[in-house]
Amino acid sequence: MTREIRIALTGNPNVGKTTLFNALTGSRQHVGNWPGVTVEKKTGRVRRNGYEIEVVDLPGTYSLTAYSADEIIARDFLLDEKPDVVVQVVDATNLERNLYLTTQLSELQVPVVIALNMADMAEAQGDAIDLARLSAFLEIPIVRTVGTRGDGIGDLLDAAIREVKTSPHHEHTIGYGDDVEATIAMLADALSADTDLTGRYPFRWLAVKLLEGDESVLDKVRGGPALARVERILSSIDSDEYEAMMADKRYEAISAILPQVRKANVRSMSPSDMVDRVVTDRYLGIPIFLALMWGTFQLTFTAAAPFMTMIEAAVGWLVEFVAGSIEPAWLASFLGDGIIGGVGAVIVFLPNIFILFLILAFLEDSGYLARAAFIMDRPLYALGLPGKAFIPMLVGFGCNVPAIMATRSIEGEKDRLLTILVNPFMSCSARLPVYILLAGTFFPEQAGSVVFFLYVLGIAVAIASAKLFRSTILPGEVSPFVMEMPPYRIPTAITSLRHMWSRGSMYIRKAGSIILIGVLAVWALASFPLGVDYGSAGSFAGMIGHLLEPLVAPLGFDWKVAVALIFGFIAKEIVVGSLGVLYGTGEETLSSALLADPGLSAAAALALMVFVLLYTPCVAAIGVIRQETGSWKWAGFSVAYGLVVAWILAFVVGHLAGFFIGGA
Amino acid sequence: MNETKMLVFGAVLGALYIVTGLLQVLGPVIGPVPGTDLLYLTGDLFVGFVLLVIGAVFAVGARNLSRDVGEGAIFISVGILLSVLFGLVSLLALCATGLDVFLLGEGAEWSVADSIGPLLYLAVIGAVGFLAWGRETLRGLTSS
Repeated sequence: MTREIRIALTGNPNVGKTTLFNALTGSRQHVGNWPGVTVEKKTGRVRRNGYEIEVVDLPGTYSLTAYSADEIIARDFLLDEKPDVVVQVVDATNLERNLYLTTQLSELQVPVVIALNMADMAEAQGDAIDLARLSAFLEIPIVRTVGTRGDGIGDLLDAAIREVKTSPHHEHTIGYGDDVEATIAMLADALSADTDLTGRYPFRWLAVKLLEGDESVLDKVRGGPALARVERILSSIDSDEYEAMMADKRYEAISAILPQVRKANVRSMSPSDMVDRVVTDRYLGIPIFLALMWGTFQLTFTAAAPFMTMIEAAVGWLVEFVAGSIEPAWLASFLGDGIIGGVGAVIVFLPNIFILFLILAFLEDSGYLARAAFIMDRPLYALGLPGKAFIPMLVGFGCNVPAIMATRSIEGEKDRLLTILVNPFMSCSARLPVYILLAGTFFPEQAGSVVFFLYVLGIAVAIASAKLFRSTILPGEVSPFVMEMPPYRIPTAITSLRHMWSRGSMYIRKAGSIILIGVLAVWALASFPLGVDYGSAGSFAGMIGHLLEPLVAPLGFDWKVAVALIFGFIAKEIVVGSLGVLYGTGEETLSSALLADPGLSAAAALALMVFVLLYTPCVAAIGVIRQETGSWKWAGFSVAYGLVVAWILAFVVGHLAGFFIGGA
Repeated sequence: MNETKMLVFGAVLGALYIVTGLLQVLGPVIGPVPGTDLLYLTGDLFVGFVLLVIGAVFAVGARNLSRDVGEGAIFISVGILLSVLFGLVSLLALCATGLDVFLLGEGAEWSVADSIGPLLYLAVIGAVGFLAWGRETLRGLTSS
């Protein structure tokens, strides 16, 4: 008979937890190097020795104190869902920090098995760990694993099953010294009066958390009969001091164990450390990062050019074929100008999107992006943003929706809100087609640099906005940033390609769904009312465009651009698709049509790129801002602020460009 | 002896990167400098910025090696890696542009010389350094 058990996979960020999860369950997931990348709960299933095992991948956490959304998710799952066994993935190359979480899991009184992961790397750097001895000290089964190769997976599952069958479970707690222990005992005694808590949470663990000033634990006590006594006890102590003392005791315990179980090989400096000296150098770190970003966009633009030419030729041929062979004329226009012209104008940029994601995947998987987050910490902190904000900002280069969701790993509500509000200024991949079209058309020699300038401008506006918000609507102290540097790795081609595909295919799906609907709406507006010339001033599109034209005319945009920008609100790619439809590109490419338009100068094109970079987030991003802030007020603020900033900066950039290159 | 060679290499290549970087950045401001036609300067400010960054990495390495402070050799090794990396980016861009022109059938309007820039030809010197010192750094880096 098959028995079901549930394993919770927990551990610090960057210990190979997701890789191990994949090895256990065979599922496909992205393996990242950034702290806090696993925000959502992920589950998988595996069968072993007659057991049907559900594995739940919890967010990476350094502790079980509720500082961040990740820690709350992980802790609540362990406490409320009560998995049969908790597998803690421990980085064998960094035992001190990882065992801190072990001490907290032990206090939770849950059955724990340790997967000593990255054991090969620890051995390669000369560390010898006595697993049996460490296991005896901790009273926790330990299995050596190498997640990337799948080593030890079977043994880990066997150990987890054994631990489930073991009953009763031992308790292993840290001694915090006489004074603290006395207070813990008093609090535990007070808590035992609350029958709602009995059996749900270990009293000692609740007492420890209360002493650490854990607000979410205090919330559990609020409204119960123990509250008054608990508050009396807490008011008599300094919780900051207690928290520090207890952390010291945990590290003391770890320090006492490690020399007895590990022979560490002390090397002067690894090549990884040496390279970090240069790429994280105080003065050279940021310039090197910017140079690499420039190289990324240069390659994104140039390497994709031949593929774009091929797709463009195929789309152009298809439009011509449809126009020449399909009757009636309205159907030919619907298929040619509407569907093929609109969607074709967007999919022509697929090579750029895929190349950008491939390079970003390479930088991420190599470990470099973690260094980028580190070097950006200092300037971000100085400007009022937490260092952790850089990670969602980098994710924003791909798509602002997951980037805004990734802010859950940021401690502090104000820090998180600040990061959410500035994230839409990070240039997502949906805006790339607009830049590539306009930069390639109007600045062919410097297209890569123009695209790079726009990305840097987005970062600059995000940082300046953070500074503004911090000093006005969201005042307060910035949370400190703790992060680690994963070792450099040569990314495997398959991992980087899979990563590229998982992000890039989203763009294809969008082209076939929301972008298609958007461009068809533009086609309908350009074709009706019946009898008007397609895309003329008399069409609905023309009427809407002319109505809005006074608002964008100071920026050098005409009514067609106004219509495209309105539809870009749904998804930014639709700006290009809409222009494709409105310019009705048939024999000529959209680039040629734009160049031939006397109403659109190079300076106005630059202003348009700046406007698209900064104006309102797309509908999906607005929805997720509402979801993450829990307020339409902030979502509305984000839209309004973006529009104002975009208008002002597009005006300034357009006029400056007009002054220097002419044609304002 | 090896460190002396590395110092000279880093100092010379660093100086070349910095000089071409300055010419690239200042070109659009002060106008073409006589005798710089053969340098294939593009007038792109960001290319100038990248040249200056690579030059600065070499310069810091050479300075540290000459004073026997810090990790001078590693700065020069990383400078070599950056030099080769950006050379490859330029080479890939050149090949892609050539292929694009071939596909468009407008070969007469483009020659290889149009896509040659300082990042490409200076990387050839960087590649010599890579053969001498860079491979070891890269190997150590990826096996660590």
